[in-house]
Amino acid sequence: MSEFFQTFLNPGVMAESSGLLLRGLWVTIQACLIVVPGGLLSGAGLALAQTLAPAWGARSLSWGVDVVRAFPPLVLLVLIVHGLPFLGIEPPPLLGVGIALTINTSTYYGEILRAGILSIEPTQWEAARSTGLGTAATLRHVILPQGVRNVLPDLAGNTLEAVKLTSLASVVALPDLLRMARVAQGVHFNPSPLILAALLYLALLWPLVRLIRRLGGRAVLPA
Amino acid sequence: MSSVLELRGVGKTFGGVPALKDIHLAVGASELVALIGPSGSGKSTLLRCCNRLAEPDAGDVVFEGNPVPAGGAELASVRRRMGMVFQAFNLYPHLNALENAALAPRRAAGLSQSEAETAAREALERVGLGDRTTAMPDELSGGQQQRVAIARALALRPRILLLDEPTSALDPELVGSVLRVIRSLKEDGVAMLIATHEIAFAREAADRIAFLADGEILESGPPAEVLDRPKSERLQSFLSRL
Repeated sequence: MSEFFQTFLNPGVMAESSGLLLRGLWVTIQACLIVVPGGLLSGAGLALAQTLAPAWGARSLSWGVDVVRAFPPLVLLVLIVHGLPFLGIEPPPLLGVGIALTINTSTYYGEILRAGILSIEPTQWEAARSTGLGTAATLRHVILPQGVRNVLPDLAGNTLEAVKLTSLASVVALPDLLRMARVAQGVHFNPSPLILAALLYLALLWPLVRLIRRLGGRAVLPA
Repeated sequence: MSSVLELRGVGKTFGGVPALKDIHLAVGASELVALIGPSGSGKSTLLRCCNRLAEPDAGDVVFEGNPVPAGGAELASVRRRMGMVFQAFNLYPHLNALENAALAPRRAAGLSQSEAETAAREALERVGLGDRTTAMPDELSGGQQQRVAIARALALRPRILLLDEPTSALDPELVGSVLRVIRSLKEDGVAMLIATHEIAFAREAADRIAFLADGEILESGPPAEVLDRPKSERLQSFLSRL
């Protein structure tokens, strides 16, 4: 048993690698600050475009969304980070990662928001239109406030996934939390830094996980 | 008397099935016209064709002397002046009574927030709910919700109200409160076109009654004439089954 502790929960190794891991944590947080708002905004754009576009437009968009969703995010990441330089575009690594993961996660956010919009009865649209409200005002004041509330647990759940998704960045040499943990593991010949990284992810995600639990327990659909 | 709203030969089909056939109907200023007829006879469709929530396939809908425009800002402007009240209320569940009534004055008519709230508050007072402005729809009874829906239409100061079976979804003891409001609006001179199953109310409050069956107006005229001396067999049997 003590061997297990020495291997996975070695306090000395954890202490020595903590500086490195905290730097990695900061990079992970920065990546999240790009991917989560970026994904939400582009997802909202996708959902609105699919709601408002004529049938053929909505169909082609949903094809695009399906292709991206079926595309392995790791491959997308490698393509963008290592492929863009061939086109003469060389974004800083953090931004490259941010773009790739935003593309991936925006399709999920988009489908969730679209479900939220579709969850609202057509009679709400009719009521709004009968008072002369236009499409934009109806969406903004009638449909979205109700629709987004209906899918809040799903939006929070996808945010959780998006945060964990940023750990893929370690494969393209972005010094994020997981990458730094792997480096420390190599230096110390000991996997304890990985466990420390997991604990840091847990600390980062714990408030969100609890929030989802709270949201899930509440009836959000109107009677 | 010049008509506020006039339907000239309006027709509508759903997937090849005729829902309305050659409807001619006029509602004058401060007139109350009741549409009666069995379920599925086209009463709702007729009302929805007036503000183009349903698109008529034939004929013209004329509002204040002009054809109702096909779309855009012109149609929106006509819809504001043609209030609609739905059977199932269709209130915005996330907004309180005042916000429900103030939304369109603010966002469609372009009033300032305080002007919109004043219009909404006046409308709620008019339907007897001046003391429930902050109540959410799910805190109100069905009758109160329907009165908020009427206030939502009134807040835009419409020239005519289209009411689609406004009491059909209500518990019997709540019907009276809504009918009282409609009667008081009539006394104030609001023109109304109302689809209803409340024959007693139609007899006493309507200036004219139109009987609709299978998408056609079979009979129309003053209540006493239509209800007491029905000519068609359809109307006779409809009235005998009430």
